[in-house]
Amino acid sequence: MPGVEDRRRVTNRLSILQYVVTVIFSMLAISFWVLQVVQHAKFEEMAENNHQRTLALRAPRGIVLDRHGKVLIENRQSFSISILREHSKDLNRTIRVLAGVLGYEEAGVRDIVNRHRREPTYRPIPIVVDASIAQVASVRVRRLELPDVVIEEVPTRRYPEKLAAHAFGYVGEVSDKDVSEDESLKSGDIVGQAGIEKVYNGQLMGVDGARRVVVNSVGREIRTLEEQEPVEGKRLQLTLDYDLQKAVEDGFRVAGFNGASVVLDPQNGEVLAFASLPEYDPNAFAAGIDRASFAALLNDELRPLQDRAIQGRYQPGSTFKMAVALAGLEEGIITPDFRAHCAGRATFYGHTFACWKKEGHGTIDLRRGIEQSCDVYFYTVANLVGVDKINKWATNLGLGVKSGIDLPNEQQGLVPSTKWKLERMHEKWYAGETISVGIGQGAVSLTPVSMAVYMATLANGGTRVTPHLLRAVDEGKGWVPAPVPPPQKTVDIDPAKLQAIRDGLWGVVNGGGTGGRARIVGMDISGKTGTAQVISNTGRMAAAKSNKDLRDHGWFVFFAPRDKPEIAGVVFLEHGIHGPNAASVAHHILDTFFAKKEGRPLPAPPADFHLDYKDPYARKPAPAAQN
Amino acid sequence: MFERRLYYHIDWALLFAVLALCALGVAMIYSTSADPTRVTSRLYITQLYAIALGLVALLVMITIDYRGFTDKSHLIYIGLLALLLYVMFFGMVQMGARRWIPLKVFNLQPSEFAKIGLALVLAKFFGENRGAPAWTDLAVGGVLTLIPFALIAKEPDLGTAVTLLPVFLAVAYLAGMRMRILGMLFLCCLLAAPVAWRFALKDYQKARISTFLDPSQDAKGAGYQQIQARITVGSGGLQGKGFMKGTQGQLRFLPVAHNDFIFSVLAEEQGFAGVLVALGLYLFVILRTLEAARLAKDRLGAYLVLGVLASFTFQVVYNITMSAGLAPVKGLTLPLMSYGGSSMIATLAGFGLVLNVRMRRFTN
Repeated sequence: MPGVEDRRRVTNRLSILQYVVTVIFSMLAISFWVLQVVQHAKFEEMAENNHQRTLALRAPRGIVLDRHGKVLIENRQSFSISILREHSKDLNRTIRVLAGVLGYEEAGVRDIVNRHRREPTYRPIPIVVDASIAQVASVRVRRLELPDVVIEEVPTRRYPEKLAAHAFGYVGEVSDKDVSEDESLKSGDIVGQAGIEKVYNGQLMGVDGARRVVVNSVGREIRTLEEQEPVEGKRLQLTLDYDLQKAVEDGFRVAGFNGASVVLDPQNGEVLAFASLPEYDPNAFAAGIDRASFAALLNDELRPLQDRAIQGRYQPGSTFKMAVALAGLEEGIITPDFRAHCAGRATFYGHTFACWKKEGHGTIDLRRGIEQSCDVYFYTVANLVGVDKINKWATNLGLGVKSGIDLPNEQQGLVPSTKWKLERMHEKWYAGETISVGIGQGAVSLTPVSMAVYMATLANGGTRVTPHLLRAVDEGKGWVPAPVPPPQKTVDIDPAKLQAIRDGLWGVVNGGGTGGRARIVGMDISGKTGTAQVISNTGRMAAAKSNKDLRDHGWFVFFAPRDKPEIAGVVFLEHGIHGPNAASVAHHILDTFFAKKEGRPLPAPPADFHLDYKDPYARKPAPAAQN
Repeated sequence: MFERRLYYHIDWALLFAVLALCALGVAMIYSTSADPTRVTSRLYITQLYAIALGLVALLVMITIDYRGFTDKSHLIYIGLLALLLYVMFFGMVQMGARRWIPLKVFNLQPSEFAKIGLALVLAKFFGENRGAPAWTDLAVGGVLTLIPFALIAKEPDLGTAVTLLPVFLAVAYLAGMRMRILGMLFLCCLLAAPVAWRFALKDYQKARISTFLDPSQDAKGAGYQQIQARITVGSGGLQGKGFMKGTQGQLRFLPVAHNDFIFSVLAEEQGFAGVLVALGLYLFVILRTLEAARLAKDRLGAYLVLGVLASFTFQVVYNITMSAGLAPVKGLTLPLMSYGGSSMIATLAGFGLVLNVRMRRFTN
């Protein structure tokens, strides 16, 4: 019967379907069991990565103030655009799209990523630091496409004025080497690379915070899970005086020369002003300097990255004469009344040495010798004292040694000695060589900062103070004065003998000497000019065709007031032609200092110092092609 | 017409399981869309209306003897074809496809009802013959299936169109189609696959399949959904994250969570435990329906029940597999749970027919 057969077939086939469906559902259940129970941990982590983000909250660096509380270095908010590989689904695609959005070369972006390839993936790789608003906006609108690109608000160093660049230094991304040496640093940190930013980096750097947030599928933050506030770096107060610093830099600008200046409080070594010119703009480094700009700075012939104040070594010329005089006096070889006759030149060991004044100074004593800066007088004294005793007393006064200033990479100057020559040149010192040392020429080469210490030591009667820039630190509960670094040395100097030198220095400025340009009535400025050859006269004629600037350097070293000095310092004009030119710059500095001290309105920088720009040795430019 | 004793033969267990699945669906829709700041926050209300309408449809399907429907099946079939044609020319376009007829209260999707129409017409067609269907019978049945298939696929809605094929295969199978023929059909499909790949499939369809084989290839598009589906399910664990506490669905990492991926949300929030409950309910519904087919008074009834069940089962299995990221992403909803009015009404109406056949097993 077909009906029965049909019924049996239907029943059979329905049973088969029953089994098939049951098997399929069992397989589904097993699949879910594998996903939800066996592999649960893996997927739970993936789900968490999906919706949780940890954002770094960058700590701002500490603010830096001048001695009167004026802000010298602060922070501003900037945006950085980074790739967070932890959330990358397709890094290559992200690089391609991001480069397109930002208008960058894809290869350039890839290079940056490759440089950070070995870092943990949860650390963002900064592609643009200090991004423009337009860049930030264009990345934001494509957030959906770029879930692994994060925009961070980053505090960035700001130097409100282009000032004291070499004292402040600059900041930059920490090097791999530093990261490996210091556990507290991590890749991507911004650290001080020069100046006080580097020396006091430990205090200035804050502690970064973090924020863990829940985001939805388009990357919008839904809520914060936990937040660790960043801790701002400590505030530092410097010994610098903003107004004095400005006066120094204005002075150089008006004079039109490069060079260096260091101004100290001679009683404790506080640095009131510190300049090296030309200077760079620290702001250019704050958000990461590009290679081309950095290369331009490095290759600049004027060497703006060199800190001339602590790294430049120059012949001091006549400013060295006080060290020679003190050696003679303290060693008992001369007295202040020791007289020498200047006929415009003198002969030692068969060589004739000229005085700067051809007609001669006649017979003069120590005071007049300093005041008139008579070369023959100091040839004579140096010859009597000998190079080793000059070396001893110059060193006592801080010359030819490091000052110990709290700035990185200070260089040591040189005051020659017989020992030095033997060690260095394996040659005997010839007595004739001492003659030029007597006027600060020959092998003598000194850093401007050591000249400032030298004047401070003469001013305070023998305490070789340590110049320092840090005055106080705010640990969070108000200002705590920073400990004053102890003096490098205290030298026993007979006040009566020192007084003769100081009388001479007073005369330089106030007695018709070479430093008259620095005179301020009633302030008893004491100082000494110096003009130092960059190259010998004969050498200079030979090099006449060279483009190099071979004009003489101009120095002025000073302290004031004479009897109770409150300020001591140095103005070094690179290729400043004449020492008295430097005295003009010093005048503006001292005028500002005393005006501020007495509460008078600060003097405006003069329009013109009326300097002597005539180069006595200048040659006419070589006639062009004569063939 | 509706005799009192029929009331006692209603399969209350099946009806209860079906309604339990509907309730589960409403809860999940509420969970994924009840954000008061969003316009979709009232979706669950719409779904409740759809269930109510569906129950009305179910009631209507129960009241009239199923033979009354099969007798008029050719008219119903032609009527549905007309609706599909209407959609093709005047339908509302949404998300790039012309699938809907806009009515005042909701948008009608005729393709959902085409399944029932096809089940009716095939049950009638094969039920009239005795013995194993001949080649010609299979060919006629195939044509009856392919006409609505083509119309729906043209919308384009290949997903829904494909659900028609199990209807034909199941009814033909039960009618006694030889296994040899089934095997040959399968072989033909296998051979046709490369040809289809080359000529018939659109680029986006090819992309979906190749993405399925390697999801990382398109980590943002279809592959993204597949990966996210797997994460959603896997992160649910044994217990689940709790009602409305799923991060994947709530934070919208999973697209159309209230619709195609509702089962993933269930897996995330209710865990493996919830999955077992839902799978159990579906399995119960399917086995109970197979039982109804077995108990049917005549072949007509058995074929009708299986025809209705075939597309339902196919869709359930495919959607759940896809929800776990184990099948290519296709816009196929999960019957009874996914959000969608037409699907809900059509499915409940289908179960009305199933109950109808079962409760009339003793009538003449």
